[in-house]
Amino acid sequence: MQRSKSLTYKALFTLVLTALICIGCSLPLSAADTIKSTGSNGEPPSFNARKVIVDHVLDSYEWHLFDIGDREFSIHLPVILFYEGRLSIFSSRRFDHGYSAYKGFRVATDGPKKGRAIRVLEDGVTPDPHASAVYDFSITKNVVAVFVASALLCLLFVSIGKRYRGADIYATPKGLPLFFEPLILFVRDQIAILAIGPEKYKQFMPYLLTVFFFIFLNNLLGLVPFFPGGANVTGNISVTFVLAMFTFGTTHWYANKTYWKHMFNMPGVPMFLKFPVPILPVIEIAGALIKPFVLMIRLFANITAGHMVILSLTSLVFVLGSVSILLGYAISPITVVFLIFLNFLKILVAFLQAYIFTLFSAFFFGMAVPKADH
Amino acid sequence: MELLMPGLGLIFWMTVSFGFVLLILKKYAWKPILNVLNQREKKLAKAFSDAKRIEYEMSQLAVLKTDKVAEAEKLYEEITEKAHAEGERIIESAKEKAREEARIISEKTDEMINKYKKEAMMEIRSQLSALSLDIAEKVLNEEFSDRERNTRYIHKLLEEVAAN
Repeated sequence: MQRSKSLTYKALFTLVLTALICIGCSLPLSAADTIKSTGSNGEPPSFNARKVIVDHVLDSYEWHLFDIGDREFSIHLPVILFYEGRLSIFSSRRFDHGYSAYKGFRVATDGPKKGRAIRVLEDGVTPDPHASAVYDFSITKNVVAVFVASALLCLLFVSIGKRYRGADIYATPKGLPLFFEPLILFVRDQIAILAIGPEKYKQFMPYLLTVFFFIFLNNLLGLVPFFPGGANVTGNISVTFVLAMFTFGTTHWYANKTYWKHMFNMPGVPMFLKFPVPILPVIEIAGALIKPFVLMIRLFANITAGHMVILSLTSLVFVLGSVSILLGYAISPITVVFLIFLNFLKILVAFLQAYIFTLFSAFFFGMAVPKADH
Repeated sequence: MELLMPGLGLIFWMTVSFGFVLLILKKYAWKPILNVLNQREKKLAKAFSDAKRIEYEMSQLAVLKTDKVAEAEKLYEEITEKAHAEGERIIESAKEKAREEARIISEKTDEMINKYKKEAMMEIRSQLSALSLDIAEKVLNEEFSDRERNTRYIHKLLEEVAAN
């Protein structure tokens, strides 16, 4: 009886928390976006869902926290630009949420460089068609989120590691180790040993564990709607590119002779497939490049799609609300129910994508260290 | 399209942070944690195999025990049997000896008895002859006192002889 009662409380608590998260999710959308999208020419307020969604999914020079009335509260992050050998460092406040140019730079409003600093002409609006490349090392929203996640990971696991140093190995884990030990064992048994094999998995364990917890933590932080969460880190192609490149690099750093032999001189196939036109080596090399590419795209697409679905559902309220206020109110409860469901789904996806990325990395490592010629 | 454009800055900072996290966690987190997990598993595996080995040894010991008990029982039976036979033999030989002894003793006794008997007979005979001589002497003395009767008796004897 006691048990079922506490379970009910837990379920209730979870429901309320999720509802709060969902409402929190829609908060940053509310005032500013509708106002921004009205423009300055006095048109009636219209809601541009596409713009809102893409802006939220993209990286940004400032970290928008919340609005009170018409006032926008943001953290203005440093902009660091290399242009023609000159270094410019200034606060993103100078861009005035993207409305102003500063030192000849401005945030692009559309095109493939949307949301990033580009060179503009004297008028401060038109992009400079003859400008050379702008090397952008700014500490953007996603960079801060990566820093926060990295710091959290280090704090968390170094403190756990400390508890294991010189610990009684038979002691039942308590506290944090109790929670993380099953996950670590899961990565080891269900990913590393499964995909690489019991002889050679050990050298890959640090990387697999780091990548798993890095992606998992960032996915979860991405679901938290307020600072320092909410940044679309693992749904950013640059981040997934770096992770994929780490997997690629690790694969080829540890790759053994058999792997290289299979790549350039596949044994057991006719010579004409390798010489004079190296069809097979080309296919093999393409395969080696496609593997990290697929890793990169999969993680990026899954997380971004999840964010987009949540943002779309939230936008639905405002889209219908701009047609009729009543319609907006009517759709809200339905949206909240869907958002609760979607947030649970995203928690599952957060774990699943971390698992898939780690598992596929492990499979690639396993292919790089085959036993012998076969 | 803008979503698919990688940004140089984010790639740079991400590489730096992830590399840093990887190095720090490798040294200060995964190493001690995996170490403990491996050690624990090794010890558990060893304990398990030890338990298995001991169980096997115990079963072997049980077999050995039943063997030994059977052996001991057999030996006991053999020994008792042997002892029994030995005892019987000893009793038999003792009986035999006793019988022999008894025979010898009875023989000796017989001999003694015979000897004493003979001696007694001799004694009796000598006594008897002396006594009879005495008696005869007395009788004769008595008899010879009556002459007439003797003469008559001689005559009778002579007549008998003449009749034959």
